Amino acid sequence: MTYYAQLLLNGIIAGSVYALFAVGLTMVYGVFRFINFAHGELIAFGAYFVLFFIGAPFSLPLYAAVAPALTLTIIVGLTQDRFVYKPLRHRSHITLLIASIGLSFLLRNIIRLIWGSDLQTYGVALTRGVTFFGLSLTWIQIVMMATAVVFLGFLYVLLTRTMLGKSLRAVSDNMLLADIMGISMKKVGRTVWVLASIFAGTGGILMAVDTNLEPLMGLTNLIKAFAAVLLGGAGNVWGALIGGLFIGVAENLGVAFFSPGYKDFISFSIIIIMLLFKPRGIFGIAGGVR
Amino acid sequence: MDYVLHILILMSIYSIFSISLNLELGYTGLYNFGHVAFFGIGAYTSALLSIAGYPVTMSMAFGMAVAGVAGALLAVPALRLTGDYFGVATLVFAEMVRLFFLNERWLTKGPMGLPGIPRPSWIGEGVAGMPLYLLFCLVLTAVVFLLVRRVTKSPFGRALKVVREDEYVAQALGKNVFVLKIKSVTMGSVLAGLAGALWAHYISFISPGDFTLNETILVLLCVVLGGRGTNWGPVMGAFIVVFFGEAVRFLPIPAEFGRFVAPLQGMVYGIVLIAMMLKRPEGLVPEYRR
Repeated sequence: MTYYAQLLLNGIIAGSVYALFAVGLTMVYGVFRFINFAHGELIAFGAYFVLFFIGAPFSLPLYAAVAPALTLTIIVGLTQDRFVYKPLRHRSHITLLIASIGLSFLLRNIIRLIWGSDLQTYGVALTRGVTFFGLSLTWIQIVMMATAVVFLGFLYVLLTRTMLGKSLRAVSDNMLLADIMGISMKKVGRTVWVLASIFAGTGGILMAVDTNLEPLMGLTNLIKAFAAVLLGGAGNVWGALIGGLFIGVAENLGVAFFSPGYKDFISFSIIIIMLLFKPRGIFGIAGGVR
Repeated sequence: MDYVLHILILMSIYSIFSISLNLELGYTGLYNFGHVAFFGIGAYTSALLSIAGYPVTMSMAFGMAVAGVAGALLAVPALRLTGDYFGVATLVFAEMVRLFFLNERWLTKGPMGLPGIPRPSWIGEGVAGMPLYLLFCLVLTAVVFLLVRRVTKSPFGRALKVVREDEYVAQALGKNVFVLKIKSVTMGSVLAGLAGALWAHYISFISPGDFTLNETILVLLCVVLGGRGTNWGPVMGAFIVVFFGEAVRFLPIPAEFGRFVAPLQGMVYGIVLIAMMLKRPEGLVPEYRR
């Protein structure tokens, strides 16, 4: 029993990070109505920028490296929009999609060029875990969960209590109507990219502290974020959160039944099943599906 | 001289691969981002059968058939999805196929790959067989090119273009859009299977690492660069991409910079893909429109 409880706990921890990835992806979809294949690279860039700042010329401690790393990730996110997506916004859909695949490939190879293709770690000293009720948890995992809670709480306040958040929701609900009502698309667009970059970057950093970094981490986690987004219904921020948790738990419980080599198969199957039977997500919001 | 033969063989294999993707992407407007899966299925099926002792040409025919069946099986459910979601489903399918190659060791030997894949007996192994193998590839490329040109210029091909431009118009004209799409995907998969089989028998060693998203990007680049929805476009795209990809090997690059070559090449592919979408989405050979 403890074994399954432990798997469940691990799943919730992993899932809270997947939720961070998924929230950004779903926000971009909600506002701009396209799947950003380069979202995964924001995850990877966040993690690699921290590696950059804890490295030789700066040698910052890990916690101090996070802020500059996230700033750079935001710049990457805004640059994507400015130079690739914005000029293509009113072109055909396939153009945007191919450009985003090309961009993801470009960014991934920039990582390989700068940092190489090998596995890397932050070299954080392993801390002893804490144990309660027979379940073990490391401090890093506690930080992961706490960060996810804080960030998603912040997002909740932003979306429901501020003017900016309300206009963001209005745009993702009905862009044309929001535009007519005088909501600044420019401002909303920029906010979405900043938020998506922060959430992806933070998730990437947490993931890298817990495990390691590699250039393909973006792609792997993008697929999980997709699965989460589809579960929750594209464009639905809270759906993405629950979807992320579900993917994390399903994946970790799956280890008890399947060979670990097929761990990723779980998110793949969820994507396929959702696409086939409930493409609007379990919460079934109308719209958001093209 | 051998190197020229090698480049020409690759060009002709990639031409077939690109033509097959163009049939779906260019003519029917289906965003297949997992086309490499069928290339891989063709390669593995043909390789396994020929290693088991069956004649190579027969194995290749089987490879094509299996790829075609896989394509049809994927198409039936996936075609219920529209636009980007079809893209996601195919991308995920390709990753699932790769995981299958990686994990089913009893069949595929997993990450070890399959060595010693024979060429057709009348061609001969090693460098000595290269001229004849090139001839074999060129003949097949010509056959595929003429066949696809004939198909796409027929009423069937024009119906595919109507589907691409507007599904509802196609329906109004009394076409069964679903069947048209399935035919297009199945044909595309059979031809991708042929390209994969040709490649496997030429290289003589395949492993799951050969069938990643990278190959999808490469073939996507060939099609987009040449021109979607044209006959010469993908062939030209394949020639350019393979030529410049291989030409890099002749640059005088000092050994200590060797590790930068592959990422730089990847960056160039990504940049070209984005630049084409921004500046010339119709490709180098634009589609003739009446």
